[in-house]
Amino acid sequence: MMEQQTIWHRLLMIDRRILYLILFVNIIIFLLIPVKVPTVTSPPVRKFYDTIEQLQPGDIVMVSSNWSAGTIGENRPQLEAVIRHLMRKKVRFTVISFDPQARDISFRFISRVTQEGGYQYGKDWAHFGFLPALVAGIKGMVKDIPATIKQDIKGTPIAQLPVMQGVKTLADYKMVIDITPAGTVAAWIAYRPKDLIVLFCPTSVMAAEAYTFLDSGQVAGMLTGAIGAQEYEQLLQQEGLGTPFAKAISFSHALIILFIILGNIALFMSRRAQGG
Amino acid sequence: MWQIEVGTTTGKVYVTLIVLAFLALFLGFIPVMQALPPRGRRALIALITFFAGLVFAAEFFLPVDKKGENWLSPAIDPAQNTLQIIGAMALALGTYGLIRLHLRNIVQQRSQWGYSVVLIVAFLTMGFFSVWKTLAEKGELRQTEFLQKGFTLLFDNMLVPLEATMFSLIAFYIFSAAYRAFRIRSIEASILMFTAMMVMIGIVSLGNIISYSWLGLPIEQTAEMEQNPFSLRNIGYNLALPRIAYWILQALNAPVQRAIEFGVGIAGLAMAIRLWLSLERGIT
Amino acid sequence: MSYQHAADNWFSAIIIALIATAVLLNIARAKAGAQLYIRRIPGLDAIDEAIGRSTEMGRPVTMIPGLTAFGVVAVQSLTIFKYITKQIAKFVTPMRLLTADATVYAVAQEAIQDAYNEAGRPDLYDPDNVRFLSDRQFAFASGVAGLLQRERVAASFMFGEFFAESLIFAETGNIVGAIQIAGTISFTQVPFFVVACDYTIIGDEFYATSAYLSREPVLLGSLVGQDIAKLLFILIIIVGVIAATTLGKDDEFIKLLGMPGGWDAFWKAIFGGS
Repeated sequence: MMEQQTIWHRLLMIDRRILYLILFVNIIIFLLIPVKVPTVTSPPVRKFYDTIEQLQPGDIVMVSSNWSAGTIGENRPQLEAVIRHLMRKKVRFTVISFDPQARDISFRFISRVTQEGGYQYGKDWAHFGFLPALVAGIKGMVKDIPATIKQDIKGTPIAQLPVMQGVKTLADYKMVIDITPAGTVAAWIAYRPKDLIVLFCPTSVMAAEAYTFLDSGQVAGMLTGAIGAQEYEQLLQQEGLGTPFAKAISFSHALIILFIILGNIALFMSRRAQGG
Repeated sequence: MWQIEVGTTTGKVYVTLIVLAFLALFLGFIPVMQALPPRGRRALIALITFFAGLVFAAEFFLPVDKKGENWLSPAIDPAQNTLQIIGAMALALGTYGLIRLHLRNIVQQRSQWGYSVVLIVAFLTMGFFSVWKTLAEKGELRQTEFLQKGFTLLFDNMLVPLEATMFSLIAFYIFSAAYRAFRIRSIEASILMFTAMMVMIGIVSLGNIISYSWLGLPIEQTAEMEQNPFSLRNIGYNLALPRIAYWILQALNAPVQRAIEFGVGIAGLAMAIRLWLSLERGIT
Repeated sequence: MSYQHAADNWFSAIIIALIATAVLLNIARAKAGAQLYIRRIPGLDAIDEAIGRSTEMGRPVTMIPGLTAFGVVAVQSLTIFKYITKQIAKFVTPMRLLTADATVYAVAQEAIQDAYNEAGRPDLYDPDNVRFLSDRQFAFASGVAGLLQRERVAASFMFGEFFAESLIFAETGNIVGAIQIAGTISFTQVPFFVVACDYTIIGDEFYATSAYLSREPVLLGSLVGQDIAKLLFILIIIVGVIAATTLGKDDEFIKLLGMPGGWDAFWKAIFGGS
């Protein structure tokens, strides 16, 4: 009886470093093992995919990329999958960042991905660089993009870019795709032109905030972190980083749930032993 | 009237006059503030605060023309740019405070002054390469291989992995926090635990495996199931873990969030009104 | 057209005016001497207990306003921290205020100095105790986590706007055994604070904190005005639900409420005509 009590008590008081080690090993194993896990597309991802599928060749889309190195694990798979889908639909896109580090990171990753689809910088896509103020920037772009941004990341005046032919304000865009770890989507919803569709790619933590916008139709679709990226890659039938990351996340969740159950069993057994 | 053509001679004269007027105002402001009694000072600050806020409030409420602007609209951008500039100046002040603190730690060899050395070295190194890179991009300095390699080492090989590491700490902390907190200690704690477990299982592939592979529940809703909502198949479809998780997020989480956001929005507006009308005594 | 002016959305213009009226009327009522009630908030009652614990242990208190840029939220955070500092000054407890925004840092220095002056202990103020760490999210998080660990803080107050770094602060505080009270308007961070902190202040309780701690008539009056505004919102929701259910979504009244448009649409709906 004393032996059992000690085991349950030890389980309740387990050193957190042991928990961290177990989780670390779990993640490494399931990142490396080629296990195939079934995925069912959730409604927000389906809406996201269907909205982009409605685009026609030659349409123009704004990609707002505001994530930096901290959330690379969740936002990078989203960004790459979105760019691949836009290239598949042969739409033009421009990229804007409201964070200085996000500017460099997004430019680097998008440059790499666009080479796969044969997209040319300046003609098929462009990066507008970094704007310091989100709300002022959106308001300015609603009125006049070349006057607000002036030049792209390479120093070329916006109005001279071939990709911006026939485009002067945000109203000329079909949609904005906001890829971000922060709550920037509320500003896009509040200040965008009325008919501009908003698609949202948050980290999993920030996704909970967006269900109200999804429900009301203010956000047309959403990819939730790496899990959303995995479902989206499945729809695109092109595996990217989302699939292995989501696999590791799935088995990490399983481990956490297992330990929650173990912890409750330990609590119950130690209370019983004390009561006995 | 809010935007001046600085390229022209008239514009340059206007700018000079405005800068001189602001300098005179600022220099005159300090003796006036010192001469006034405390009540007078508070009244003057309240007046300035009121008129500064009035610009934004009036611009929102005044009627607009066909272009969606009124006569105050051109003032908003310069006002917001001014706020950005003040923020940048404050950044310099903050950086000065940081460096001063750590230099003092080093000079006086206070406890754990080694960390201060690391901070100063990192700050100077990163600052040196960042400034050089920015000037090189504008063509004012030469882009050398040393700059390229140095910046890549510091940014790609150090800053990016360090930031990603800090974010990944959250995963480990969630594990220990969940293990510690999700216990059946009370009704509320139990509800928290079960809801969290439902959402955790439902949003990942584990939920799909349990619901669709092991239990064989229907993945999609057919027309027949829609017509017979109380049929076993339709009930099974709605009891799948991914659907339960999505329902929790959409039907429980979203309304509660809306309610909290309403309260926060109203409270934020009330506080903004109190600050504008100087009714808020708080930090002043 | 985007909703940037009252003329773009008559509904929001009227609602803002109604909320402002409710708040100002009740502030006037409170100043005239009306007795106003505020319910108990356990987390705020625990502030003095937390400070007492720090004093007994001889370990510092930390105050973190989060990643808040200077604005309404930051002012509220600093108001709360000013109250806490006045309490701290009575017991000569060491404190650290850590900011991620340089403007907040500049204002915080003045606020904390004022707090010590008002408590009659200007000698206790040390400018190095109010620190700007970094404006980068995770650089700030690592700085705070490091300080919490090195100084083994006994009490941690987190009031403001937080993002993903909230759990790093809360769990690190838990590791060092600090008593933690957190208040945030960031809905997504509330679960992390609930599991890792001793007390959590949620949503508009954060804004009610200054009224609760100071019991100033203006703040209490404003709180009552906010509650009246919330009741108004509830009424509008109930009217909207009943109207949508009975009239159907294609009714003109529903269309008017659902898509307000400019003042032209409003006058046209009320008085008819083109």
